[in-house]
Amino acid sequence: MSRRQAARVIAKAIPACMLAALLGVTPAAPAGAARPKENQPMKSTSKPVVGETLRTSLLPVPSSPLVAFRIQYRSGSINDPPGKEGLNALTAMIIGQGGTKELTYREVTDRLYPMAATIGAQADREVTTFIGSVHRDHLKPYYELLSGVLLRPRFDESDFKRSRDDLIAGIETNLRGNDDESLGKAALNLMMYDRHPYKQLDTGTVQGLRSITLDDVKAHYRRYYTRGNVVLAVSGGYPDALIESLKKDFASLPAGAPPLLKLPKPRSLQATEVLFVEKAAPATAISIGCPIGVTRSDRDFYALMVANSYLGEHRTFNGRLMNKLRGERGLNYGDYSYIESFIQDGGSNFPLPNTPRRQQFFSIWIRPVAHSNALFALRQAVRELKMLVDVGLSPQDFEASRKFVLNYSRLWTQNLSRRLGYQMDSEFYGTGFLIDRIQEELPRLKVEDVNAAVKRHLQAANLAVAIVTENAAGMRDALLSGRPTPITYQTPTTDEALLKEDKEIESFPLPVNRERMRIVKAQDLFEK
Amino acid sequence: SRNEIEPGKSGFAHFFEHMMFRGTETYPRERYNALLKELGADHNAFTTDDYTAYHILAPASGLETIMTLESDRFMNLKYPVEDFKKEAGAVLGEYNKNASNPFQTLSEKLRDAAFAVHTYKHSTIGFLQDVQDMPNQYDYSRQFFDRFYRPENCTLLVVGDVDAKKLAGLAQKYYGSWKHGSYKAGVPAEPPQQEEKRVAVAWPNPTQPYVYLGYHGPAFSDTEVDLPALDLVSQLLFSEAAPLYQKLVVDEQEVDVLFGGAPDHVDPYLFEIAARVKKPERVAYVESAITAALDDLKQTPIAADRLDSVKSHLKYSYAMGLDTAGSVARSLAHYLAVAGDSDAVNRLYAVYDRITPDDLRGVARKYFVTSGRTVVILSHKPTAESTGATAGGGAGAAAGTGS
Repeated sequence: MSRRQAARVIAKAIPACMLAALLGVTPAAPAGAARPKENQPMKSTSKPVVGETLRTSLLPVPSSPLVAFRIQYRSGSINDPPGKEGLNALTAMIIGQGGTKELTYREVTDRLYPMAATIGAQADREVTTFIGSVHRDHLKPYYELLSGVLLRPRFDESDFKRSRDDLIAGIETNLRGNDDESLGKAALNLMMYDRHPYKQLDTGTVQGLRSITLDDVKAHYRRYYTRGNVVLAVSGGYPDALIESLKKDFASLPAGAPPLLKLPKPRSLQATEVLFVEKAAPATAISIGCPIGVTRSDRDFYALMVANSYLGEHRTFNGRLMNKLRGERGLNYGDYSYIESFIQDGGSNFPLPNTPRRQQFFSIWIRPVAHSNALFALRQAVRELKMLVDVGLSPQDFEASRKFVLNYSRLWTQNLSRRLGYQMDSEFYGTGFLIDRIQEELPRLKVEDVNAAVKRHLQAANLAVAIVTENAAGMRDALLSGRPTPITYQTPTTDEALLKEDKEIESFPLPVNRERMRIVKAQDLFEK
Repeated sequence: SRNEIEPGKSGFAHFFEHMMFRGTETYPRERYNALLKELGADHNAFTTDDYTAYHILAPASGLETIMTLESDRFMNLKYPVEDFKKEAGAVLGEYNKNASNPFQTLSEKLRDAAFAVHTYKHSTIGFLQDVQDMPNQYDYSRQFFDRFYRPENCTLLVVGDVDAKKLAGLAQKYYGSWKHGSYKAGVPAEPPQQEEKRVAVAWPNPTQPYVYLGYHGPAFSDTEVDLPALDLVSQLLFSEAAPLYQKLVVDEQEVDVLFGGAPDHVDPYLFEIAARVKKPERVAYVESAITAALDDLKQTPIAADRLDSVKSHLKYSYAMGLDTAGSVARSLAHYLAVAGDSDAVNRLYAVYDRITPDDLRGVARKYFVTSGRTVVILSHKPTAESTGATAGGGAGAAAGTGS
């Protein structure tokens, strides 16, 4: 395969198998920040004024030969106008994969290429971040290109058409047809955030994208890419002169910032709400979730981190779900849980930085299971969640999970670009540097605190469930009947304890919301 | 997985990678996991066509604990039949989770067609029927361990805050008693392909069509110019700055995914090219545009400044990637596996430096030949196989340009 670095694309528009991670450099000493008051809500954006100081987030590492940039605008899919869903993502993509007033996209690419530097555009719900790293040998020309595409974007008609086609293909081909796991997660999102700005994909809808014009893109750019709406973040071995240039150049952006969109409370889920997404599928993919009232800004988040690690730390064997579904029963490749939006960073186990939200959700990801075992797996996962809520962690499990999170979290910011991203997210949430905050909060906790936080914020009675499968009607009928849904082992087991637990799982009550239960075809999702 | 020479036993290197997490008498699975959990370790494993890698990222203070655990499972792995059968379910689950992505199918079909006898014929995860039969192969799995999990097949690589002398002492202490094995079996050499092969694959879900090509190529080398030259070809044709990429993706917008290259392999492998074509009726055109670009390489020397630009890109790209202990380890492990020596990367880059426009024309003529090509077309309709671009360079097969 071509060894080129990660493409200048939106991370989620392209299947993960075709991406390579964007790499940065070794971490530096942490940037300090004041510890926020307990349970302090999100800091509001200060009122913009003409001539306001540009916000920066800096992480100097003089010994590093690399410089990492993250230029972030407070603009996300929540800012897409009705009927033009995808506008934010499309604007970001045209900028990140486009030219400047002086240079075509091809010319920009030609100049970037020998530096092995890229400009990536990551468009999320609330923020859009332009990301790139460069060796300091090429810092000046790279910065000229980066600032050029951001401050003087070409908005070429051909680039517009190409980017729009890419995003539409991302939905029509990739999401609906080629990636059942992402499809399940996206369908879960539709359910949890019905009639809420978080509802749609970051990349919009097919008809939304088709209705967007280049003038819409320019208008979005004028409105959201403003002085009061940007954070200029840099890490690495950069000279002071770079920051001076950044401030001087980005001062040319229009003043002010548009008002921050208020978010309504997400709707309340009623019992187990199930959406079947039907398509030809070799196995059944399941996503379970519900909105929660906790983010990194809240103290309870840290207690929930411990509980969540115990239940389903992403891609590790530390999670109970992983051990019970995969380890003990060989049901599938993996089962994990999350207390916030989590998008894996390339091939690592860690989340992408710069996907912050003011509202979060709890979720469980059950990787594709044989169709015949799908409902068993669903029941098992919900049962495990219920046990976590009802019974909580034992003191031993609490100690082990806490110790794990304390040590494992130190691995989240191994390179400069990730560390910078985490620093920015820490500023978004007002937590102080997250990795340090974890080191402060977790040692304070007792097992009772964690179990109390779980009871406050998690529950298993009212959940959204998205199931991507082939024979949706059959599965729906089985679920509605309330009948036991036993597991079929590839080869029979003789483990008595397991068999006994299987009997409980297969009959675990899942009160289903019949009115809200639906079957939709994958081809019909995300159309408008 | 290249070592899986027995029929019905494809996928065992990968399956065994899974079994390595099932414990020993001294450190049963739960205890192994608990000790690594205490360290806050990030650990996993992966298998490729040529090697299996077990990797752990943890605080330097945990080195001796890790040496204890790893040496124990490498030497003393022990698992009951029941565990073995459960893990087969997880492997099948892994196959299934990838199965919704056409790239798994494309790769399977290409390799199966392109290779007649070499074990690259099957993918690392194995033929589906072999994966499904795995629960019945417990005894074979024990034989697999006995054959391959031996010191002569293993390299221990430690990157980070580590002292070489101390490490040598620990290695002797924990691995010193590991006995050599005696299994030797050759991997059959692939005879030259005699004629182009074409495969049409029907995809059950609506999709844009994919064209996936494989030309037989050389094995990894850090002395011979062939594979390094093909790495440059990969950049010259398929990087974002490449004229072909700009033509098909940016200007004509016929294609929205395009990549190509010859991944490093111990034995001769393929130069693989993938394109996702936006409109089914343009598949033939895209295929011919790709083959035309390959043919052009055979004739037209690359300009010196373009060549320099590619060499610069490769160097900076590689160097910038060495940013964490994990990424350094991953890269060095790769070179250890394909070349037996981590210094291969330096020799490789020295070869890159020496490559001339004539070298590029030479490898293009040698490897981009129709008789050595396999083409897979995947599309929603099974009758959408590419027509008209079967013989010769295909340069004249498509009409016109533009969408």
